[in-house]
Amino acid sequence: MSTWLAIAGVAASTFLLRASFIVFADPHRFPRRFRQALNFVPPAVLAAIVVPGLLLHGGALDLSLGNPRWIAGVLAILIGARTRNAMAAIATGMVALWLLQWAMG
Amino acid sequence: MRSPREEFIAGSRAIAPVLVGTIPFGFVTGVATVAAGMSAAQGIALSVLSFSGIAQLITSQLVAAGSPVMVTVAAAFVVSLRFLMYSAALAPHLAHLSLRWRLLLSYLMTDQSFATGLARYQSDRPKDHLHWHFLGSATILYASWQAAVVLGVVAGAAVPASWSLDFAVVLSFIALLVPAVRTRADLAAAIVAGAAALAAAGLPYRLSLVVASIAGIAAGMAIELAREKRR
Repeated sequence: MSTWLAIAGVAASTFLLRASFIVFADPHRFPRRFRQALNFVPPAVLAAIVVPGLLLHGGALDLSLGNPRWIAGVLAILIGARTRNAMAAIATGMVALWLLQWAMG
Repeated sequence: MRSPREEFIAGSRAIAPVLVGTIPFGFVTGVATVAAGMSAAQGIALSVLSFSGIAQLITSQLVAAGSPVMVTVAAAFVVSLRFLMYSAALAPHLAHLSLRWRLLLSYLMTDQSFATGLARYQSDRPKDHLHWHFLGSATILYASWQAAVVLGVVAGAAVPASWSLDFAVVLSFIALLVPAVRTRADLAAAIVAGAAALAAAGLPYRLSLVVASIAGIAAGMAIELAREKRR
């Protein structure tokens, strides 16, 4: 049930933001500082999701070689930065995780 | 001047190169939603209603972590704030259309169709049926995206947990993060947000995501303001 509520809330948020100026508001311009701050939303939010996803294991920081996720993640970042290709980064990370999990038994 | 039909077809053509990236991304997103524990119906409903890969992924991620509804919605709202900018940029070009058209084009607007649409609006060709151009590119993107998500949902449900497909969610965020870091201020925002997310990991309700995002945005702004001052 709460999942359906979340879906409804997310749907309403995305639609209202898209429609904000096109449907509801006069297309006046934003304050410049606000626009600048919006520029940092993608790097900040994405890093706040990625870093714990790689380094936290059962709620604790795990930077050991026994945690294959951060190693696979770093490889994906390097390939992504090098090739500028999203699918290459995802495929590299996934294959690296499988190989590491297999090597560690 | 082109007819509405010709504009629609021109828009469909303009979006075609983007599909090479969008279709695999939709597939991964579909896999991620079921890996997060959503049912196939929920994954598809989320996709049809929100039509945003990033919002869909973040919702999956937070639902999997058992976050409260409010935190999930707030996080999706924050990552979707860019639509506010797109909406402001497109609004002057769409102001003459009927409410029905404006609702439809709002619903269909994405990063990709915004980019191709705005490029068309800024060109100096005749502009009478431009909304048909936008509709053409947005419709093709919508149909391809939803088909890819459905395939991913079906495939994801068939894959055993030992394949660790949940990691595809983190990887898809990495694939979005890397090109989002273009300047030193972006890098500062990412590093501070990542460190803050670790430091705040103990907070209840996954509030760490909100705290860390604000810290990262503040860090990016601080670098930006310092740079402006030096000039």
